[in-house]
Amino acid sequence: MYMYLPIALTSVNYLVVIGLGLSVGLLSGLFGVGGGFLMTPLLMMVGIPPTIAAATDANQIVAASASGTFAHWRLGNVDVKMGIYLLVGGFLGGAVGVQVIKLLRATGGADFLIKMTYVVMLGLVGSFMFVESIHAMRKKKVASAAPAAQAKTAAPEKKRNGFFASLPLQVYFEKSGVTHSALVPLFLGTFVGVLAAIMGVGGGFLMVPVMVYMLRMPMHVVVGTSLFQILFTCVEVTFLQAYSNRTVDFFLALLLLFGSVFGAQIGTVLGKKLHGDQLKILLAILVLAVTVKIVLELVLEPSLLLAYAGGH
Amino acid sequence: MKLSLSVVKQWTVAAAAICGLFAVTAPTARAITCEVTPREIPITLSYHGAKLTITGQTAPDDDLILKISSEPHDTAMKYYGKVGGLVWMKKGGLEFKGVPGVYLVNTTADLSLILSETERDQYQLGYDAMAKATKIEDNKGLPAERKWFDEFTRFKEKEMIYKIQQGTITRRHGEKGNTFEIVVNWPYQAPPGIYNIDLLAVNNGKVVDKTATTFEVKRVGVIAALSKMAVDQAALYGIMSVLIALAAGTAVGAIFKKGGGSH
Repeated sequence: MYMYLPIALTSVNYLVVIGLGLSVGLLSGLFGVGGGFLMTPLLMMVGIPPTIAAATDANQIVAASASGTFAHWRLGNVDVKMGIYLLVGGFLGGAVGVQVIKLLRATGGADFLIKMTYVVMLGLVGSFMFVESIHAMRKKKVASAAPAAQAKTAAPEKKRNGFFASLPLQVYFEKSGVTHSALVPLFLGTFVGVLAAIMGVGGGFLMVPVMVYMLRMPMHVVVGTSLFQILFTCVEVTFLQAYSNRTVDFFLALLLLFGSVFGAQIGTVLGKKLHGDQLKILLAILVLAVTVKIVLELVLEPSLLLAYAGGH
Repeated sequence: MKLSLSVVKQWTVAAAAICGLFAVTAPTARAITCEVTPREIPITLSYHGAKLTITGQTAPDDDLILKISSEPHDTAMKYYGKVGGLVWMKKGGLEFKGVPGVYLVNTTADLSLILSETERDQYQLGYDAMAKATKIEDNKGLPAERKWFDEFTRFKEKEMIYKIQQGTITRRHGEKGNTFEIVVNWPYQAPPGIYNIDLLAVNNGKVVDKTATTFEVKRVGVIAALSKMAVDQAALYGIMSVLIALAAGTAVGAIFKKGGGSH
């Protein structure tokens, strides 16, 4: 029942770890998020040091997102062109974000800013998605009752598209069925990359709403494209963490990915059975629950007032 | 004859004095011994801690203190504090100078009753004695409050690598002489390395005899190979981690192929 982890230097019940991988992989396949914002704290709860937990999580996300991307690819849900633009932006943003955090650490108070960014971003994204999804579901009901109302609701979207249309380098993204300036996904990718680097997460839960609300992509294509982008980001992170910090525990990653690759497949199949708005509401609830957890951690006195230096 | 009697008396007194001197200065006369089994704990894939049996001989009326510890080193920690009177955050760093990574103490009786404070301080027995010898510095190199040492021991106790257990050593007086035995549950959280076992015999509040031995906790097999690779061939280790994850992900994706379909 127990397996010793050579880099984490601890022993874990492998059934528990596989179970964690399965649960987070399921969420990954369902919502297109890497799940790092859930997995890292869960691993810390089973006794894995924070630095090892974060780095190894990136390694298992490679497997889960490869599995999820593959599944979504077959379903025709991956917009490779959009994914590449976002990825390039994400790499640029990540590099900028790392420099920002270095500067903040030098001046002190970086931890406070990181936590606050986390709470504010998660809270905003979660609340917005929740309210918007409920609103959209109500609209649908009204629209089905009175089809004429649909014409009215289409007007503001056209206006938004009009603003994006005025930008140069217009590109048509066939898979998503949208036309945007190449600068838009590049800029949004950079923005998410900066935030993800500051917060120390992959950024899937930020990228998904950006694709849904700013790029107006269909929800199912968003999930596949997000996983595609996360896959490449996590390949880079895993290699750098193993090479520079020696914090990737291969056995821990194996246990997690054993669960997560199956979880991602189950999540993808489940996702097919849910409507886009239902998926959005579920993700919003998840994001809000994590926000509440972080707020409680910030406000309540920790049971231990010390932690090893080097963690998040 | 008178003269020879006086010489004999003088020799007797001298011999008695020499014997007395030996009794005080030669602790080996008490013949305290300490054996640890196993002397090497292998860390295998299924390792989840081990049982250490420590046995030996001792004088019949001495109390015993057994200390298992690693070599002292400086430990860097972060401490939490309230920011803006509302939120708990990591506020700064603390360095605990010269503290052992692992510190497990077992005794035959209450430590404070069997050993004087001076002796406890000298042999670093008990948290109070350790606190007196430990320098704690903050980020600016200024000394920090004692309360942080208490937090430090609480933190280590939660990790199961600091523990003081009193009255846990069993003594037997029989045909084999005066023996003792203790079975220590070795925590899997303790990192690989060489550990010291110090056995002290105490009487009337003082240490009257002592002996020491060591044992090793060592990575073996695939655990040793992988740890070595992660350090010596970090790039290869990173590439292997990525490739296996990619292969596992796509392989499972292929297995689930039949479950696919189009929207």
